[in-house]
Amino acid sequence: MNKTKKLGFLALASAVTMSMVVAVPAPAATACPKKATVTMLGTIKIEIQDQFLAAVADYNKSQKCYTVKSIPGDRKLTFLQNVTPMYAAKNAPTIMYTLQEIPDMADKVIDWKGTKLVSLVSPGLLAAANVGGKQVGVPSTAEAFGLLYNKKVLADAGIDPAKIKTRGDLENAFKTLQAKGKKAIHFSAIWWSLGAHFTNIYHANSAKTHEGRLKVLDQLSDGSKDLSKDAVFQNWLATFDLLKKYNGSTANLTDTEYDASIASLSSGNYGFLFQGNWTEPNLMTAAPGTDFGIMPLPISTDAATYGNDSIPVGVPGYFMIDAKQSTKAERDGAIDFLTWLYTSPKGQGFVANPVTKGGMGFIPVYKGFKVEPATSMARDISKFVVAGKTLEWINTYYPAGLQETVGKVSMQQYFTDKITSADLAKAIQDAWKGSVKTWRGVKK
Amino acid sequence: MLRARAAKKFSKFALVPLVIFTIVLVIPFVNGFYYTFTDWDGFETTKFVGFDNYVKSFKDPTFWATLRFTTLFVVVSLVIVNVVAFGLALIVTSNLRSRNVLRTFFFVPNLIGGVVLGVIWQFVFNSALVALANKYDWALFKESWLQDTHKAFWALIIVTVWQSSGYMMIVYITGLVSIEQEVLEASQIDGASPLRTLLTIKIPLMAQAFTIALFLTLRGGFMAYDVNVALTGGGPFRTTELISLHIFQDAFANGNFGTGQSKAVVMFIIVAMAALVQVTISKRYEVQR
Repeated sequence: MNKTKKLGFLALASAVTMSMVVAVPAPAATACPKKATVTMLGTIKIEIQDQFLAAVADYNKSQKCYTVKSIPGDRKLTFLQNVTPMYAAKNAPTIMYTLQEIPDMADKVIDWKGTKLVSLVSPGLLAAANVGGKQVGVPSTAEAFGLLYNKKVLADAGIDPAKIKTRGDLENAFKTLQAKGKKAIHFSAIWWSLGAHFTNIYHANSAKTHEGRLKVLDQLSDGSKDLSKDAVFQNWLATFDLLKKYNGSTANLTDTEYDASIASLSSGNYGFLFQGNWTEPNLMTAAPGTDFGIMPLPISTDAATYGNDSIPVGVPGYFMIDAKQSTKAERDGAIDFLTWLYTSPKGQGFVANPVTKGGMGFIPVYKGFKVEPATSMARDISKFVVAGKTLEWINTYYPAGLQETVGKVSMQQYFTDKITSADLAKAIQDAWKGSVKTWRGVKK
Repeated sequence: MLRARAAKKFSKFALVPLVIFTIVLVIPFVNGFYYTFTDWDGFETTKFVGFDNYVKSFKDPTFWATLRFTTLFVVVSLVIVNVVAFGLALIVTSNLRSRNVLRTFFFVPNLIGGVVLGVIWQFVFNSALVALANKYDWALFKESWLQDTHKAFWALIIVTVWQSSGYMMIVYITGLVSIEQEVLEASQIDGASPLRTLLTIKIPLMAQAFTIALFLTLRGGFMAYDVNVALTGGGPFRTTELISLHIFQDAFANGNFGTGQSKAVVMFIIVAMAALVQVTISKRYEVQR
């Protein structure tokens, strides 16, 4: 019996004990007279679909008990739109993967508490999928966003990104780039970049503690927060203005700007881009041999201010397992597959190896990973994670639809100078006012 | 005897379609209507909430803004699509040599799916026209049309007209060729000008085609979704969201299934009323032959 199988059985055994079933797991392969089919909605994300399906095929080959099958779903539709008809048809997928809709799913999925995977993740990365003490999901990977930069362009201009510690330093770097005939930054007006990620820069910096940051959300929901009197918000606005001022591209309010922004940074004409590390495979494909880095977006003029030296690192999605419509064998199979994926050497290879080597290029979030991230930006992020210089993804807690409301309307209006900064502050406050406090476990 | 035969005939031809119609349309419709009176969250209902969802929908200012925008879109697209389609139909039923080629040519845009069409035109407005404008200094296209509410509205109209005129043209062609040749010849002998023939002979005799085309464009305008999503995505600043997109956003992005569903019911009532009024009025102009 190979190691993979042993681990599989270990997980199976632990899963069985966890669900407190009286039956003793039967020995060896006879444990499963009938193969259970474990369905999963989607393939984590489209960019690494082929690699993920290869991992699934590999797992299925090693299996006597379970077959994992990915159901495509309709990518044009939202997670909820895919999942609700399946639940209505009593045909729910066993494994589901999402982030924003976790509160909606919390009462329909299993509690991961006590499983092997949970014991291997730091509590910080579990927090967003912990609903009222129930661990409803486990993370896939970590992603980060911040200022991406073209290492060659910055080196040629004599800029050391490690020395950019304040907003003032950043402006000087922009000026240096312009003096060298380069464009400083591609600051894109894509609604989700503005609505989820750029607004998060304020929320992640808004207080030093997790509780303090949630309190800001409470106050916004209650309508008692005056953003115009908030010093961090003012710093954030000044940073918004700075990036707008040095933006080398023209605003495009449709989604096509994403590709354009990747083309800009990889072209060697731009120094910086406000985006996340999910762009790295595309950047590397567009400019083979060029290295790209990631650094904090400092919003304060004082280097010592909280958050100035950190990047927002978060989990882009959690795996959840249906508890309402699946059989026990299906649930066990789901746990077994995910445990195999993140703990077996073969699974880890699929997870962390770069796309060029058939892996998904994920940054490991589970302890005991033997495979190191291979790309430049992934290594940068690992350094920030190890040094503890990470900020929270408060956008995980945004109420459903808020990032659209803010990102598509007020943020894009401010971006294109249609409204003043006071209007923007008020629009954000209005968007939050009265929202259900899902971050406190309140059900909608 | 006769009744039994009628029943047999009915079951032969109508039973299967009727069952399917009931399963895929009537039951979901009734179900959806029922959901609007509950606290449905997309998964389950726990209690009745009366007219709460409707009250909330009507209190939502963006719902009214979207309704206004949709109405404007329906009126403008209805007029332009039908004028253009009728014009095209006149061209391709005239004695032009290229009329068969032109028929195909005008109809082809209708064969392209709305999403693909939206993406193509997004490229035209965002990149192609802007690039040309910068080269030849056309002030009108220097900024992408999708960046400005009014221009984005016209972009939507242009694409809708481009897509559906060809289809409506076919409807009008059918109307035009169904007019008896004798009537037209008689009018010619009486010395009627082409314009007179068009206004007093052709149009009244093909009023049925107008009823159909107007109904289809009215319904199409209210239901427009794919072009809206793919072309403007509701932008800039969510000012070009048509009612279908608004309902979709409310239900599936904001997770408000109750209000989303009740807005859909309101929309159904509006479309049904508008269509009813339109069909009743245009029926009056139809000539029985």
